[in-house]
Amino acid sequence: MEHQPPVSDRLVRTLQWVWLGVAFLLVGSIVLWIVGLIRAAWKLDDVLSASVGISIVAIPVFLVFMGVVFYVFWGIALHGRGRED
Amino acid sequence: MADPRDTHEDILLAPIEHTGPGFYWAVAFLSLLILWGAIAYSIQFTEGLGVTGLHQPVGWGFYVTNFVFFIGISHAGTLISAILRLSKAEWRRPITRMAEVITCMVIFIGAGQILVDLGRPDRMLNVLRHGRYQSPLLWDATSISAYLTASLTYLYLPMIPDIAILRDRLGKRKLLYSVLALGWTGTEHQHRVLNRAIAIMAVLVIPIAVSVHSVVSFVFSMTLQPSWHSTIFGPYFVVGAIFSGIAGLILTMIIFRKAYKLHYYLKPIHFRYLGQLLLIMSLLWFYFTFAEYLTGYYGAEPEEMKVFWAKFTGPFWPFFWSMVLCNFVVPLACLASLKRHTVGKVMIASAAIVVGMWLERFIIVVPTLSFPRLPFPEGVYLPTWVEWGETAGSFGLFALFYLLFTKFFPIISIWEIREGRETSLKEVEERIVSYLPGEVEEKT
Repeated sequence: MEHQPPVSDRLVRTLQWVWLGVAFLLVGSIVLWIVGLIRAAWKLDDVLSASVGISIVAIPVFLVFMGVVFYVFWGIALHGRGRED
Repeated sequence: MADPRDTHEDILLAPIEHTGPGFYWAVAFLSLLILWGAIAYSIQFTEGLGVTGLHQPVGWGFYVTNFVFFIGISHAGTLISAILRLSKAEWRRPITRMAEVITCMVIFIGAGQILVDLGRPDRMLNVLRHGRYQSPLLWDATSISAYLTASLTYLYLPMIPDIAILRDRLGKRKLLYSVLALGWTGTEHQHRVLNRAIAIMAVLVIPIAVSVHSVVSFVFSMTLQPSWHSTIFGPYFVVGAIFSGIAGLILTMIIFRKAYKLHYYLKPIHFRYLGQLLLIMSLLWFYFTFAEYLTGYYGAEPEEMKVFWAKFTGPFWPFFWSMVLCNFVVPLACLASLKRHTVGKVMIASAAIVVGMWLERFIIVVPTLSFPRLPFPEGVYLPTWVEWGETAGSFGLFALFYLLFTKFFPIISIWEIREGRETSLKEVEERIVSYLPGEVEEKT
Protein backbone atom coordinates (compact mmCIF):
# COMPACT_ATOMS: atom_id res chain seq x y z
CA MET A 1 0.00 0.00 0.00
CA GLU A 2 1.38 3.44 -0.90
CA HIS A 3 1.61 6.01 1.91
CA GLN A 4 1.24 9.73 1.51
CA PRO A 5 2.48 12.44 3.86
CA PRO A 6 -0.18 13.73 6.31
CA VAL A 7 -2.52 16.33 4.87
CA SER A 8 -2.53 19.84 6.31
CA ASP A 9 -5.66 20.53 8.38
CA ARG A 10 -5.75 24.08 7.14
CA LEU A 11 -5.74 23.02 3.51
CA VAL A 12 -8.49 20.47 4.16
CA ARG A 13 -10.63 23.05 5.96
CA THR A 14 -10.12 25.60 3.15
CA LEU A 15 -11.11 23.07 0.51
CA GLN A 16 -14.18 22.10 2.52
CA TRP A 17 -15.28 25.73 2.48
CA VAL A 18 -14.66 25.83 -1.27
CA TRP A 19 -16.75 22.63 -1.58
CA LEU A 20 -19.59 24.26 0.33
CA GLY A 21 -19.20 27.42 -1.76
CA VAL A 22 -19.52 25.45 -5.01
CA ALA A 23 -22.71 23.77 -3.71
CA PHE A 24 -24.16 27.15 -2.77
CA LEU A 25 -23.11 28.63 -6.09
CA LEU A 26 -24.87 25.85 -8.00
CA VAL A 27 -28.12 26.11 -6.08
CA GLY A 28 -27.93 29.91 -5.92
CA SER A 29 -27.49 30.13 -9.70
CA ILE A 30 -30.56 27.98 -10.29
CA VAL A 31 -32.63 30.13 -7.92
CA LEU A 32 -31.39 33.29 -9.64
CA TRP A 33 -32.23 31.80 -13.02
CA ILE A 34 -35.79 31.08 -11.90
CA VAL A 35 -36.13 34.61 -10.49
CA GLY A 36 -34.85 35.91 -13.85
CA LEU A 37 -37.60 34.00 -15.64
CA ILE A 38 -40.25 35.59 -13.41
CA ARG A 39 -38.76 39.00 -14.14
CA ALA A 40 -38.82 38.36 -17.89
CA ALA A 41 -42.44 37.16 -17.73
CA TRP A 42 -43.39 40.27 -15.77
CA LYS A 43 -41.61 42.67 -18.11
CA LEU A 44 -43.12 41.06 -21.22
CA ASP A 45 -46.55 40.62 -19.59
CA ASP A 46 -46.22 36.96 -20.56
CA VAL A 47 -48.44 34.81 -18.31
CA LEU A 48 -46.79 35.81 -15.07
CA SER A 49 -49.01 33.40 -13.14
CA ALA A 50 -47.30 30.35 -14.67
CA SER A 51 -43.84 31.59 -13.71
CA VAL A 52 -44.90 32.58 -10.22
CA GLY A 53 -46.85 29.36 -9.66
CA ILE A 54 -43.93 27.12 -10.59
CA SER A 55 -41.39 29.27 -8.78
CA ILE A 56 -43.38 29.18 -5.54
CA VAL A 57 -42.75 25.43 -5.50
CA ALA A 58 -39.30 25.28 -7.07
CA ILE A 59 -37.43 28.00 -5.18
CA PRO A 60 -38.24 26.72 -1.66
CA VAL A 61 -37.21 23.20 -2.74
CA PHE A 62 -33.79 24.46 -3.77
CA LEU A 63 -33.51 26.53 -0.60
CA VAL A 64 -34.25 23.43 1.48
CA PHE A 65 -31.42 21.59 -0.32
CA MET A 66 -29.10 24.44 0.51
CA GLY A 67 -30.30 24.34 4.11
CA VAL A 68 -29.69 20.59 4.40
CA VAL A 69 -26.18 20.89 2.96
CA PHE A 70 -25.34 23.73 5.31
CA TYR A 71 -26.84 21.88 8.28
CA VAL A 72 -24.65 18.85 7.54
CA PHE A 73 -21.57 21.03 7.07
CA TRP A 74 -22.27 22.92 10.27
CA GLY A 75 -23.23 19.84 12.29
CA ILE A 76 -20.47 17.53 11.12
CA ALA A 77 -17.53 19.61 9.98
CA LEU A 78 -17.78 22.67 12.20
CA HIS A 79 -19.36 21.46 15.44
CA GLY A 80 -19.31 17.69 15.22
CA ARG A 81 -15.64 16.80 15.74
CA GLY A 82 -14.95 15.17 19.06
CA ARG A 83 -18.32 16.22 20.45
CA GLU A 84 -19.83 13.34 22.42
CA ASP A 85 -23.19 14.04 23.96
CA MET B 1 -16.53 -2.60 22.46
CA ALA B 2 -15.69 -5.23 19.86
CA ASP B 3 -14.08 -4.15 16.62
CA PRO B 4 -17.06 -3.39 14.40
CA ARG B 5 -14.98 -4.09 11.33
CA ASP B 6 -16.38 -6.94 9.36
CA THR B 7 -13.67 -9.28 8.11
CA HIS B 8 -15.41 -9.22 4.74
CA GLU B 9 -15.15 -5.43 4.47
CA ASP B 10 -11.87 -5.89 2.65
CA ILE B 11 -13.92 -7.21 -0.27
CA LEU B 12 -15.65 -3.84 -0.48
CA LEU B 13 -12.38 -1.91 -0.40
CA ALA B 14 -10.55 -4.25 -2.78
CA PRO B 15 -11.73 -2.56 -6.02
CA ILE B 16 -10.45 0.78 -4.68
CA GLU B 17 -7.12 -0.59 -3.50
CA HIS B 18 -6.29 -2.84 -6.41
CA THR B 19 -6.94 -2.64 -10.13
CA GLY B 20 -7.05 -5.86 -12.10
CA PRO B 21 -6.76 -6.42 -15.85
CA GLY B 22 -10.55 -6.78 -16.11
CA PHE B 23 -10.92 -3.11 -15.26
CA TYR B 24 -8.63 -2.05 -18.08
CA TRP B 25 -10.39 -4.33 -20.56
CA ALA B 26 -13.74 -2.89 -19.53
CA VAL B 27 -12.44 0.68 -19.84
CA ALA B 28 -10.99 -0.10 -23.27
CA PHE B 29 -14.27 -1.57 -24.51
CA LEU B 30 -16.36 1.28 -23.12
CA SER B 31 -13.92 3.84 -24.55
CA LEU B 32 -14.49 2.33 -27.99
CA LEU B 33 -18.23 2.80 -27.62
CA ILE B 34 -17.68 6.37 -26.44
CA LEU B 35 -15.33 7.00 -29.35
CA TRP B 36 -18.02 5.82 -31.75
CA GLY B 37 -20.46 8.19 -30.10
CA ALA B 38 -17.96 11.06 -30.17
CA ILE B 39 -17.24 10.59 -33.88
CA ALA B 40 -20.97 10.39 -34.62
CA TYR B 41 -21.64 13.54 -32.64
CA SER B 42 -18.75 15.50 -34.16
CA ILE B 43 -20.06 14.69 -37.64
CA GLN B 44 -23.57 15.72 -36.62
CA PHE B 45 -22.19 18.90 -35.08
CA THR B 46 -20.35 19.95 -38.24
CA GLU B 47 -22.82 18.69 -40.86
CA GLY B 48 -26.06 19.32 -38.96
CA LEU B 49 -29.00 17.07 -38.10
CA GLY B 50 -29.31 16.15 -41.80
CA VAL B 51 -26.89 13.27 -41.18
CA THR B 52 -29.45 11.66 -38.86
CA GLY B 53 -32.73 10.00 -39.73
CA LEU B 54 -34.65 12.93 -38.23
CA HIS B 55 -36.79 14.81 -40.74
CA GLN B 56 -40.26 16.28 -41.11
CA PRO B 57 -42.61 15.15 -39.68
CA VAL B 58 -40.51 12.89 -37.39
CA GLY B 59 -38.37 15.45 -35.56
CA TRP B 60 -37.86 13.32 -32.46
CA GLY B 61 -36.27 9.89 -32.69
CA PHE B 62 -33.55 8.04 -30.83
CA TYR B 63 -32.35 11.06 -28.86
CA VAL B 64 -35.69 11.86 -27.26
CA THR B 65 -36.33 8.12 -26.77
CA ASN B 66 -32.98 7.89 -24.96
CA PHE B 67 -33.81 10.99 -22.92
CA VAL B 68 -37.08 9.53 -21.64
CA PHE B 69 -35.47 6.12 -21.13
CA PHE B 70 -32.46 7.40 -19.15
CA ILE B 71 -34.51 9.73 -17.00
CA GLY B 72 -36.77 6.73 -16.34
CA ILE B 73 -33.84 4.53 -15.32
CA SER B 74 -32.80 7.28 -12.92
CA HIS B 75 -35.79 6.31 -10.79
CA ALA B 76 -33.83 3.19 -9.90
CA GLY B 77 -31.90 4.97 -7.36
CA THR B 78 -33.05 7.78 -5.32
CA LEU B 79 -36.72 6.84 -5.36
CA ILE B 80 -36.29 3.15 -4.60
CA SER B 81 -33.59 3.85 -2.02
CA ALA B 82 -35.71 6.54 -0.34
CA ILE B 83 -38.81 4.35 -0.21
CA LEU B 84 -36.87 1.40 1.22
CA ARG B 85 -35.13 3.66 3.74
CA LEU B 86 -38.34 5.30 4.94
CA SER B 87 -40.17 1.98 5.16
CA LYS B 88 -37.25 0.60 7.20
CA ALA B 89 -36.76 -2.31 4.84
CA GLU B 90 -33.61 -3.77 6.36
CA TRP B 91 -32.66 -5.71 3.25
CA ARG B 92 -31.98 -2.39 1.51
CA ARG B 93 -28.56 -1.89 3.13
CA PRO B 94 -26.30 -3.44 0.44
CA ILE B 95 -28.45 -2.04 -2.37
CA THR B 96 -29.03 1.66 -1.75
CA ARG B 97 -25.61 2.99 -2.77
CA MET B 98 -25.66 1.17 -6.11
CA ALA B 99 -29.12 2.52 -6.79
CA GLU B 100 -28.23 6.11 -5.89
CA VAL B 101 -25.16 6.09 -8.12
CA ILE B 102 -27.24 4.93 -11.08
CA THR B 103 -29.54 7.90 -10.59
CA CYS B 104 -26.81 10.52 -10.56
CA MET B 105 -25.02 9.07 -13.60
CA VAL B 106 -28.06 8.62 -15.81
CA ILE B 107 -29.54 12.03 -15.12
CA PHE B 108 -26.43 13.58 -16.67
CA ILE B 109 -26.60 11.21 -19.65
CA GLY B 110 -30.36 11.72 -20.06
CA ALA B 111 -30.22 15.51 -19.91
CA GLY B 112 -27.30 15.42 -22.37
CA GLN B 113 -29.57 13.78 -24.97
CA ILE B 114 -31.50 17.01 -25.29
CA LEU B 115 -28.30 18.89 -26.08
CA VAL B 116 -27.49 16.32 -28.75
CA ASP B 117 -31.03 16.52 -30.15
CA LEU B 118 -30.81 20.29 -30.46
CA GLY B 119 -28.26 19.98 -33.24
CA ARG B 120 -27.07 23.45 -32.27
CA PRO B 121 -26.19 23.04 -28.56
CA ASP B 122 -25.43 26.76 -28.23
CA ARG B 123 -29.20 27.32 -28.50
CA MET B 124 -29.48 25.92 -25.00
CA LEU B 125 -28.43 29.39 -23.90
CA ASN B 126 -31.71 30.71 -25.32
CA VAL B 127 -33.56 28.55 -22.79
CA LEU B 128 -31.45 29.96 -20.00
CA ARG B 129 -31.84 33.56 -21.13
CA HIS B 130 -35.33 33.69 -22.60
CA GLY B 131 -37.11 30.64 -21.15
CA ARG B 132 -40.90 30.75 -20.74
CA TYR B 133 -42.60 28.83 -17.98
CA GLN B 134 -45.63 28.15 -20.14
CA SER B 135 -43.60 25.49 -21.90
CA PRO B 136 -43.52 21.98 -20.35
CA LEU B 137 -39.95 21.77 -21.68
CA LEU B 138 -38.96 24.37 -19.12
CA TRP B 139 -40.88 22.54 -16.40
CA ASP B 140 -38.68 19.61 -17.36
CA ALA B 141 -35.50 21.65 -17.06
CA THR B 142 -36.53 22.85 -13.60
CA SER B 143 -37.64 19.49 -12.22
CA ILE B 144 -34.60 17.68 -13.62
CA SER B 145 -32.32 20.31 -12.02
CA ALA B 146 -34.10 19.75 -8.70
CA TYR B 147 -33.85 15.97 -9.06
CA LEU B 148 -30.17 16.12 -9.95
CA THR B 149 -29.39 18.39 -7.00
CA ALA B 150 -31.43 16.21 -4.63
CA SER B 151 -29.90 12.99 -5.95
CA LEU B 152 -26.33 14.26 -5.65
CA THR B 153 -27.01 15.38 -2.08
CA TYR B 154 -28.77 12.14 -1.26
CA LEU B 155 -25.88 10.13 -2.70
CA TYR B 156 -23.22 12.16 -0.91
CA LEU B 157 -24.68 12.28 2.61
CA PRO B 158 -24.71 8.52 3.31
CA MET B 159 -21.22 8.33 1.80
CA ILE B 160 -19.61 10.58 4.42
CA PRO B 161 -18.88 7.85 7.04
CA ASP B 162 -17.54 5.56 4.31
CA ILE B 163 -15.29 8.29 2.96
CA ALA B 164 -13.93 8.69 6.49
CA ILE B 165 -13.14 4.95 6.52
CA LEU B 166 -11.27 5.38 3.23
CA ARG B 167 -9.43 8.40 4.65
CA ASP B 168 -8.30 6.40 7.68
CA ARG B 169 -7.56 3.09 6.03
CA LEU B 170 -6.25 3.80 2.55
CA GLY B 171 -2.82 5.21 1.88
CA LYS B 172 -3.87 7.11 -1.21
CA ARG B 173 -6.05 10.09 -2.21
CA LYS B 174 -5.77 11.34 1.38
CA LEU B 175 -6.56 14.94 0.46
CA LEU B 176 -9.68 14.04 -1.53
CA TYR B 177 -11.07 11.77 1.18
CA SER B 178 -10.16 14.21 3.99
CA VAL B 179 -12.04 17.04 2.29
CA LEU B 180 -15.12 14.97 1.46
CA ALA B 181 -15.27 13.24 4.88
CA LEU B 182 -15.96 16.65 6.51
CA GLY B 183 -13.94 15.66 9.60
CA TRP B 184 -16.19 12.70 10.35
CA THR B 185 -15.09 10.84 13.48
CA GLY B 186 -18.30 8.95 14.15
CA THR B 187 -19.45 10.81 17.27
CA GLU B 188 -23.02 10.46 18.40
CA HIS B 189 -23.69 14.09 17.49
CA GLN B 190 -22.40 13.55 13.95
CA HIS B 191 -24.54 10.43 13.55
CA ARG B 192 -27.59 12.34 14.75
CA VAL B 193 -27.01 15.20 12.31
CA LEU B 194 -26.36 12.86 9.42
CA ASN B 195 -29.38 10.63 10.06
CA ARG B 196 -31.63 13.66 10.33
CA ALA B 197 -30.32 15.10 7.06
CA ILE B 198 -30.70 11.77 5.26
CA ALA B 199 -34.28 11.46 6.54
CA ILE B 200 -35.14 14.97 5.29
CA MET B 201 -33.66 14.22 1.89
CA ALA B 202 -35.42 10.84 1.68
CA VAL B 203 -38.77 12.54 2.25
CA LEU B 204 -38.02 15.33 -0.23
CA VAL B 205 -36.69 13.11 -2.96
CA ILE B 206 -39.85 11.02 -3.43
CA PRO B 207 -42.20 13.81 -4.62
CA ILE B 208 -39.39 15.30 -6.69
CA ALA B 209 -38.74 11.96 -8.42
CA VAL B 210 -42.45 11.50 -9.11
CA SER B 211 -42.68 15.06 -10.44
CA VAL B 212 -39.73 14.54 -12.80
CA HIS B 213 -41.27 11.74 -14.80
CA SER B 214 -44.71 13.29 -14.65
CA VAL B 215 -43.26 16.42 -16.17
CA VAL B 216 -41.38 14.37 -18.79
CA SER B 217 -44.75 12.91 -19.76
CA PHE B 218 -46.29 16.40 -19.92
CA VAL B 219 -43.94 17.24 -22.80
CA PHE B 220 -46.05 14.80 -24.81
CA SER B 221 -49.46 14.86 -23.16
CA MET B 222 -49.84 18.67 -23.18
CA THR B 223 -49.97 18.55 -26.97
CA LEU B 224 -53.10 17.55 -28.92
CA GLN B 225 -51.25 14.88 -30.87
CA PRO B 226 -52.91 11.46 -31.28
CA SER B 227 -51.83 8.93 -28.64
CA TRP B 228 -50.06 11.62 -26.63
CA HIS B 229 -52.94 13.70 -25.31
CA SER B 230 -53.75 11.48 -22.34
CA THR B 231 -54.55 12.25 -18.73
CA ILE B 232 -52.90 9.08 -17.45
CA PHE B 233 -49.55 9.78 -19.08
CA GLY B 234 -48.09 11.17 -15.83
CA PRO B 235 -48.67 8.06 -13.68
CA TYR B 236 -48.05 5.79 -16.70
CA PHE B 237 -44.59 7.30 -17.15
CA VAL B 238 -43.83 7.16 -13.43
CA VAL B 239 -44.78 3.47 -13.27
CA GLY B 240 -42.67 2.76 -16.34
CA ALA B 241 -39.76 4.67 -14.84
CA ILE B 242 -39.81 2.74 -11.57
CA PHE B 243 -40.25 -0.49 -13.54
CA SER B 244 -37.22 0.12 -15.76
CA GLY B 245 -35.30 1.54 -12.81
CA ILE B 246 -35.65 -1.65 -10.76
CA ALA B 247 -34.63 -3.74 -13.77
CA GLY B 248 -31.58 -1.52 -14.39
CA LEU B 249 -30.62 -1.78 -10.73
CA ILE B 250 -30.87 -5.57 -10.73
CA LEU B 251 -28.67 -5.85 -13.81
CA THR B 252 -26.07 -3.53 -12.25
CA MET B 253 -26.13 -5.56 -9.03
CA ILE B 254 -25.61 -8.80 -10.93
CA ILE B 255 -22.71 -7.40 -12.97
CA PHE B 256 -20.86 -5.99 -9.95
CA ARG B 257 -21.67 -8.99 -7.79
CA LYS B 258 -19.79 -11.13 -10.30
CA ALA B 259 -17.01 -8.65 -11.13
CA TYR B 260 -16.20 -7.66 -7.52
CA LYS B 261 -17.19 -10.97 -5.88
CA LEU B 262 -19.91 -9.44 -3.73
CA HIS B 263 -21.83 -12.68 -3.16
CA TYR B 264 -21.39 -12.28 0.59
CA TYR B 265 -23.36 -9.02 0.50
CA LEU B 266 -25.73 -9.38 -2.46
CA LYS B 267 -27.54 -12.57 -1.60
CA PRO B 268 -30.26 -14.43 -3.51
CA ILE B 269 -32.79 -13.02 -1.03
CA HIS B 270 -32.11 -9.49 -2.34
CA PHE B 271 -32.79 -10.61 -5.87
CA ARG B 272 -35.87 -12.48 -4.74
CA TYR B 273 -37.34 -9.38 -3.11
CA LEU B 274 -36.44 -7.15 -6.05
CA GLY B 275 -37.90 -9.80 -8.35
CA GLN B 276 -41.18 -9.57 -6.46
CA LEU B 277 -41.18 -5.79 -6.87
CA LEU B 278 -40.45 -6.29 -10.55
CA LEU B 279 -43.41 -8.63 -10.92
CA ILE B 280 -45.75 -6.14 -9.26
CA MET B 281 -44.47 -3.35 -11.50
CA SER B 282 -44.87 -5.54 -14.59
CA LEU B 283 -48.53 -6.14 -13.76
CA LEU B 284 -49.03 -2.46 -13.03
CA TRP B 285 -47.34 -1.49 -16.29
CA PHE B 286 -49.59 -3.89 -18.20
CA TYR B 287 -52.67 -2.44 -16.51
CA PHE B 288 -51.70 1.12 -17.49
CA THR B 289 -50.82 0.08 -21.05
CA PHE B 290 -54.12 -1.75 -21.40
CA ALA B 291 -56.10 1.20 -20.02
CA GLU B 292 -54.26 3.65 -22.28
CA TYR B 293 -54.81 1.72 -25.51
CA LEU B 294 -58.36 0.59 -24.71
CA THR B 295 -59.48 4.18 -24.12
CA GLY B 296 -57.99 5.29 -27.44
CA TYR B 297 -59.48 2.33 -29.28
CA TYR B 298 -62.96 2.77 -27.79
CA GLY B 299 -63.05 6.47 -28.71
CA ALA B 300 -62.05 5.49 -32.29
CA GLU B 301 -61.07 9.03 -33.22
CA PRO B 302 -59.72 8.71 -36.81
CA GLU B 303 -56.29 10.31 -36.22
CA GLU B 304 -55.88 8.29 -33.04
CA MET B 305 -56.74 5.07 -34.84
CA LYS B 306 -54.10 5.68 -37.51
CA VAL B 307 -51.42 5.66 -34.81
CA PHE B 308 -53.12 2.79 -32.98
CA TRP B 309 -53.09 0.48 -36.01
CA ALA B 310 -49.59 1.60 -36.98
CA LYS B 311 -48.47 0.17 -33.65
CA PHE B 312 -50.60 -2.96 -33.62
CA THR B 313 -50.39 -4.14 -37.23
CA GLY B 314 -48.63 -1.39 -39.20
CA PRO B 315 -44.96 -0.49 -39.62
CA PHE B 316 -44.33 -0.40 -35.86
CA TRP B 317 -45.81 -3.82 -35.00
CA PRO B 318 -42.43 -5.55 -34.39
CA PHE B 319 -41.50 -2.89 -31.81
CA PHE B 320 -44.92 -2.88 -30.16
CA TRP B 321 -45.22 -6.65 -29.77
CA SER B 322 -41.56 -7.00 -28.73
CA MET B 323 -42.33 -4.43 -26.04
CA VAL B 324 -45.29 -6.48 -24.78
CA LEU B 325 -43.15 -9.64 -24.88
CA CYS B 326 -40.26 -8.05 -22.99
CA ASN B 327 -42.26 -6.07 -20.44
CA PHE B 328 -45.01 -8.53 -19.66
CA VAL B 329 -44.70 -12.04 -21.08
CA VAL B 330 -41.05 -12.70 -20.19
CA PRO B 331 -41.20 -11.19 -16.68
CA LEU B 332 -44.41 -13.07 -15.96
CA ALA B 333 -42.92 -16.35 -17.18
CA CYS B 334 -39.78 -15.82 -15.09
CA LEU B 335 -41.28 -14.34 -11.94
CA ALA B 336 -44.84 -15.64 -11.60
CA SER B 337 -43.79 -18.36 -9.18
CA LEU B 338 -42.68 -16.30 -6.18
CA LYS B 339 -40.85 -19.19 -4.53
CA ARG B 340 -38.71 -19.91 -7.58
CA HIS B 341 -37.03 -16.53 -8.06
CA THR B 342 -33.48 -17.57 -8.85
CA VAL B 343 -30.86 -14.94 -9.64
CA GLY B 344 -30.77 -16.21 -13.23
CA LYS B 345 -34.51 -15.81 -13.74
CA VAL B 346 -34.53 -12.35 -12.20
CA MET B 347 -31.64 -11.40 -14.48
CA ILE B 348 -33.44 -12.63 -17.63
CA ALA B 349 -36.58 -10.73 -16.64
CA SER B 350 -34.57 -7.56 -15.92
CA ALA B 351 -32.65 -7.69 -19.19
CA ALA B 352 -35.93 -8.15 -21.08
CA ILE B 353 -37.50 -5.23 -19.23
CA VAL B 354 -34.62 -2.84 -19.95
CA VAL B 355 -34.97 -3.63 -23.67
CA GLY B 356 -38.77 -3.55 -23.47
CA MET B 357 -38.88 -0.19 -21.72
CA TRP B 358 -36.56 1.35 -24.30
CA LEU B 359 -38.94 0.04 -26.99
CA GLU B 360 -41.88 1.47 -25.04
CA ARG B 361 -40.30 4.93 -25.10
CA PHE B 362 -39.63 4.54 -28.83
CA ILE B 363 -43.21 3.39 -29.44
CA ILE B 364 -44.53 6.45 -27.62
CA VAL B 365 -42.28 9.01 -29.34
CA VAL B 366 -42.04 8.00 -32.99
CA PRO B 367 -45.39 6.61 -34.29
CA THR B 368 -47.34 9.70 -33.24
CA LEU B 369 -44.93 11.93 -35.15
CA SER B 370 -45.06 9.62 -38.16
CA PHE B 371 -48.84 10.13 -38.40
CA PRO B 372 -49.37 13.74 -37.32
CA ARG B 373 -52.77 15.30 -36.82
CA LEU B 374 -51.90 18.31 -38.98
CA PRO B 375 -51.91 17.87 -42.76
CA PHE B 376 -48.20 17.08 -43.08
CA PRO B 377 -47.05 14.18 -45.22
CA GLU B 378 -46.67 10.98 -43.21
CA GLY B 379 -43.20 9.56 -42.77
CA VAL B 380 -41.30 6.65 -41.30
CA TYR B 381 -38.22 7.19 -39.17
CA LEU B 382 -35.06 5.27 -39.98
CA PRO B 383 -32.12 6.06 -37.70
CA THR B 384 -28.69 6.32 -39.30
CA TRP B 385 -25.35 5.12 -37.89
CA VAL B 386 -25.03 8.54 -36.24
CA GLU B 387 -27.95 7.90 -33.89
CA TRP B 388 -26.82 4.33 -33.24
CA GLY B 389 -23.33 5.63 -32.43
CA GLU B 390 -24.61 8.32 -30.11
CA THR B 391 -26.84 5.78 -28.35
CA ALA B 392 -23.98 3.29 -27.94
CA GLY B 393 -21.73 6.12 -26.72
CA SER B 394 -24.32 7.18 -24.14
CA PHE B 395 -24.60 3.67 -22.71
CA GLY B 396 -20.81 3.41 -22.76
CA LEU B 397 -20.44 6.74 -20.96
CA PHE B 398 -22.89 5.67 -18.27
CA ALA B 399 -21.09 2.37 -17.72
CA LEU B 400 -17.66 4.08 -17.67
CA PHE B 401 -18.78 6.71 -15.14
CA TYR B 402 -20.20 3.96 -12.96
CA LEU B 403 -17.04 1.88 -13.20
CA LEU B 404 -14.85 4.88 -12.32
CA PHE B 405 -17.04 5.63 -9.30
CA THR B 406 -16.38 2.13 -7.97
CA LYS B 407 -12.63 2.82 -8.15
CA PHE B 408 -12.99 5.78 -5.80
CA PHE B 409 -15.78 4.83 -3.39
CA PRO B 410 -17.24 1.58 -2.01
CA ILE B 411 -20.22 0.47 -4.02
CA ILE B 412 -21.87 -1.00 -0.93
CA SER B 413 -22.30 1.17 2.13
CA ILE B 414 -19.89 -0.12 4.77
CA TRP B 415 -21.23 1.86 7.71
CA GLU B 416 -24.85 0.99 6.98
CA ILE B 417 -23.98 -2.72 7.00
CA ARG B 418 -22.19 -2.21 10.34
CA GLU B 419 -25.15 -0.29 11.68
CA GLY B 420 -27.42 -3.14 10.57
CA ARG B 421 -25.31 -5.65 12.51
CA GLU B 422 -24.89 -3.51 15.63
CA THR B 423 -28.24 -1.86 16.22
CA SER B 424 -30.88 -2.90 13.70
CA LEU B 425 -31.18 -6.53 14.77
CA LYS B 426 -32.38 -5.42 18.20
CA GLU B 427 -34.46 -2.58 16.75
CA VAL B 428 -36.24 -4.90 14.29
CA GLU B 429 -37.01 -7.37 17.08
CA GLU B 430 -38.53 -4.61 19.19
CA ARG B 431 -40.49 -3.33 16.20
CA ILE B 432 -41.95 -6.77 15.47
CA VAL B 433 -42.95 -7.18 19.09
CA SER B 434 -44.67 -3.79 18.92
CA TYR B 435 -46.74 -4.96 15.91
CA LEU B 436 -48.08 -8.00 17.75
CA PRO B 437 -51.18 -7.93 19.93
CA GLY B 438 -50.42 -6.99 23.51
CA GLU B 439 -50.41 -4.19 26.02
CA VAL B 440 -50.50 -0.72 24.44
CA GLU B 441 -48.32 1.99 25.88
CA GLU B 442 -50.17 5.27 25.42
CA LYS B 443 -47.91 8.23 24.70
CA THR B 444 -49.35 11.60 25.40
